[in-house]
Amino acid sequence: MTPRRASSGVTLQRARFLALLASSTALAGCARIGTSLTENARFHRILDSPERLDLAVLGSGQPLAREYAERAISPDFRHNGFDPPADAAYLQWMRNAWRGYRLFVTGLVARPGSYSLDDLRTRFKPRAQITRHDCVEGWSVIGKWRGAQLRDVIAQAQPLAQARYVIFWCMDDDGTGTKYYESLDMHQASHPQAVLAYELNDQPIPPKNGAPVRLTVPTQLGYKSAKHVQRIEVVAGLGAAYGRGGYWEDRGYEWFAGI
Amino acid sequence: MKGRIYRHPLAVRVTHWIVALALLVLTMSGLQIFMAHPALYASDASTFDKPVLSIYADAGAAGQPVGRLQVGSHVVTTTHVLGWTSDGFGGENSRAFPAWATIPAYRDLADGRRWHIFFAWVLIACALVYGYWALRLIPKGRELRELPSAVLRHMLPWRVKAESSYNPLQKTAYFTVVFVLVPIAVISGLALGPSVDSWAPWLPALLGGRQFARIWHFAAMFAIIGFFVTHVAMVAATGLWNNLRAMITGWFSPPKGAS
Repeated sequence: MTPRRASSGVTLQRARFLALLASSTALAGCARIGTSLTENARFHRILDSPERLDLAVLGSGQPLAREYAERAISPDFRHNGFDPPADAAYLQWMRNAWRGYRLFVTGLVARPGSYSLDDLRTRFKPRAQITRHDCVEGWSVIGKWRGAQLRDVIAQAQPLAQARYVIFWCMDDDGTGTKYYESLDMHQASHPQAVLAYELNDQPIPPKNGAPVRLTVPTQLGYKSAKHVQRIEVVAGLGAAYGRGGYWEDRGYEWFAGI
Repeated sequence: MKGRIYRHPLAVRVTHWIVALALLVLTMSGLQIFMAHPALYASDASTFDKPVLSIYADAGAAGQPVGRLQVGSHVVTTTHVLGWTSDGFGGENSRAFPAWATIPAYRDLADGRRWHIFFAWVLIACALVYGYWALRLIPKGRELRELPSAVLRHMLPWRVKAESSYNPLQKTAYFTVVFVLVPIAVISGLALGPSVDSWAPWLPALLGGRQFARIWHFAAMFAIIGFFVTHVAMVAATGLWNNLRAMITGWFSPPKGAS
């Protein structure tokens, strides 16, 4: 190898190194600008604005999420989120095949009530659906749910005219005492596939997947499908008392999780 | 100045720069989103034990943290770049991509999604404005016939000269980005939304399933990055200031003797 070629090789190497350095420095600059803009409250409101547009484009109507054949069911329905509740009452119910557990329906309704698992099975027409669960993280699993349609349970309680939202108060917490909760508007709550499930893949729902009763909303991302539901509250608005309508919504995620 | 030609109309110049910004933000916020579950599956639901690609942190021979990239049955060590890399706080952590490549720099799925969805709308708005001018990128029969010779000329890219009008290879490259790569990115991105899928169940099916749509989305991003690098190199090689000025003011100085 002649010295000249060696030096041009070194030059090329140096040029390539400099180009890499320059581009990663430029990207780092973008990342830094993006980070500080994210932390600017006024800019963040602009970033948040498309959610209303998404809801306007996709939120009307009630198209059905695809339903699958049995063979499409995932071998394991992946668990995400908090650990199952571990309080004495929950463990006691679990040991007694959920005897003692009741699902409450409260709020702006003419007939508040509560249901045992057997009530949910026998007093409402069961709906079975094999649907895909899309986690906000990016993965998907397919499972077979059986349960009562949310709209039937709400109708039974006779919502008052001012009812606009349904809040799901859950029994699991994030380890610091903050409990999970979620919400849907009345239109979303009346979707035929919004189901209060008590079975997953023809078995009682395992604790990790939301025992004894969980919501499944296959037309939105997984965090809308609240697990371990204890109480359904019908309200006129989400307002300050209810945060932004969900545990993850309070942490910056979209209330409308359709995309 | 004498001899200059008006090459790019205002709408093209404005959308060019907004799209450039949008693609940059979409890439960096997309990497942020991908970090939440850095794995791809060639199916509808995730087959967790058989990812096509995954990035993860692992323990090295001495127990030290290392980053790994797995593609099919091949695993390569990518410590400091992928899997175990800079966390945006001065240290390293279990992260698929380095902090300098993501928006926000630190790990934040919620805000990554806000950026991504905002700029997805920006991209669509630009596509609506630019659509009319994009039609000029459709190669004519003559240009397609001249394509092989243009490819041959580009074997020595540094000897390629700027011309007053796009050469056939250049035009085909722009056409591919505008009519193939960006549409694939948009369509596969839409297919990731569970609500979009309920409106258009054929969309994920067309792409091989929802998880497969992530592969299309990722592949389109890589192809667009590839175009970007080539584009910037060719802009620099064929008269950086002349090309830049043309895309800012619209006016381009054709090289002497050029047609």
